[in-house]
Amino acid sequence: MSVIAPNFKLSSFIKSLLDNIFWILLLLVLIGIPLVFMVLFVIPLPVIDGELLTPFLALSWIADPSRTLPIIQAFLETDIFRVMAFPGFGFAALLAAGTIFAERKMMAKIQLRVGPFYCGKFEGILQLMGDGLKLISKEIIIPAKADKPIFWAAPVMFVAAAAAFVALIPVAPGWVVADVDLGLLAVFAVIGFFPIITILSAWSANSKYPFIGGIRALFQMVSFEIPLILSLLGVVILTGSLNLSEIAASQSNFPWIIFLPVGAIVFFITMLAELERIPFDLPEAESEIVAGWLTELSGMMYGLVQLGSYLKLYAFAGLFVVLFLGGWNGPMVVPSFPMELIENGIEMGPITLKISGLAPLLSEVITQEMLNGTLWFVLKTVGVIFFIILPRGVFPRIRVDMLLDLGWSKLIGLAFVNIFIALGLLYAGVLGPGGLQ
Amino acid sequence: MFGFAVAAMAPALVISRMISPRKRSNPVKFLPMECGQVPSGEGRTHFMMQYYPYILMFVVFDVMAIFLYAWGSAILELPKSATLPMMGFLAIMFGAMAFALYQSGRRRIW
Repeated sequence: MSVIAPNFKLSSFIKSLLDNIFWILLLLVLIGIPLVFMVLFVIPLPVIDGELLTPFLALSWIADPSRTLPIIQAFLETDIFRVMAFPGFGFAALLAAGTIFAERKMMAKIQLRVGPFYCGKFEGILQLMGDGLKLISKEIIIPAKADKPIFWAAPVMFVAAAAAFVALIPVAPGWVVADVDLGLLAVFAVIGFFPIITILSAWSANSKYPFIGGIRALFQMVSFEIPLILSLLGVVILTGSLNLSEIAASQSNFPWIIFLPVGAIVFFITMLAELERIPFDLPEAESEIVAGWLTELSGMMYGLVQLGSYLKLYAFAGLFVVLFLGGWNGPMVVPSFPMELIENGIEMGPITLKISGLAPLLSEVITQEMLNGTLWFVLKTVGVIFFIILPRGVFPRIRVDMLLDLGWSKLIGLAFVNIFIALGLLYAGVLGPGGLQ
Repeated sequence: MFGFAVAAMAPALVISRMISPRKRSNPVKFLPMECGQVPSGEGRTHFMMQYYPYILMFVVFDVMAIFLYAWGSAILELPKSATLPMMGFLAIMFGAMAFALYQSGRRRIW
């Protein structure tokens, strides 16, 4: 145990402290404040109660509850909030974290183990946090002849591609980060990035196991992309739109899985393959090729790839829900907020608590429809995630040639059967213009 | 969202790099992983791409699948007679796919 600072002198300590304060003040004045002023010209500031919300007003209003709520409402309507918190990254990461925990406990129960138990007081509920801390404090080891820029960039790009996929999934009516007209094609474009990132990471590692795993990932993702694309064509034929929000809204009476069960099954199987989950986890087959294309990734790089793959899992489950299970549609179960509380305030003896900014917040942003839609979306997504992680405890891994034969011969045939079912329903007049709906 | 993820995840790597130990004393540590053996040969070796016919097929049929989307998203506005040429196109594609699958199943020619 070494002494932290053997030659400690109070005067030099104070001198270094003053030095640091000087440099911080200098940098703040020369760079920080001009940067703030430059940013304030670019960012459009919200107008609240007829007044432009400058930083000074925002800081002074934040102390007054009746004026804080409009500021919060203005923040909830910005794109920053959508990207960072609700339909975007925070929401998806929360569901992904829940998925990891549920998966570990469920696998343990299926295999007659206990699973995470000690971390946290209740059933190892803080295990994920412990794992994250462990991963972030591990050393990142990069193989000697690796292609360093690509090797560093690959995990970040994997998470970013998964996040771009998450951005396309509508959670509640109007609550989607990127409402693209050709949403489904955008989804295919984003899915097409994953094999590229995988093979780049595998090739740049300059090691044999990642190379073999990357080539397997390439085969697998490439073979299952065509059945994936074709199995969703039935939904597009019946809806006549590629926008995911419109597809979800078109299922207000019945979900498409009633009419297109074949397409739903094909899409589910291809989804398992694209997510590299058992029985299709050939790219990271841990009993054959150490960890496949993840072999050389260490520490937080591995953690990022895991985060990205679970974000991808959430996004695929959300896509399944939006396309086949009706998205946010469901019976209204969320009770409406008692409006007399907003009008009259809460009376407790002599005191009346009245919050004036609550009415526009509840009627414009956090509406009853939004809460209900989110509830149904989350319930359905959790159900789909359950069925995605269930095969991991039940099925063995299949061989490469069986995988390719399944993808190319059987699933593509079934996808075309699904297209013909959709065409038949359309031309028999059951669905589409003049039919049900 | 893509940009936000890059901006949010890069600091994770940087923080990890900052707080994790870094010892560069041991050259064996930076060798590629080969289950404890000293690795032999290059990492990026020649590797037999056994199933490459499927990759070639992907190049063709992925484009076909995306073309079908152009038809499928506009089918509600098209007249019913416009479906017949599409069926002809699909028939040609089925023939091509059956031939390609037959060829890619013949392992002697790999």
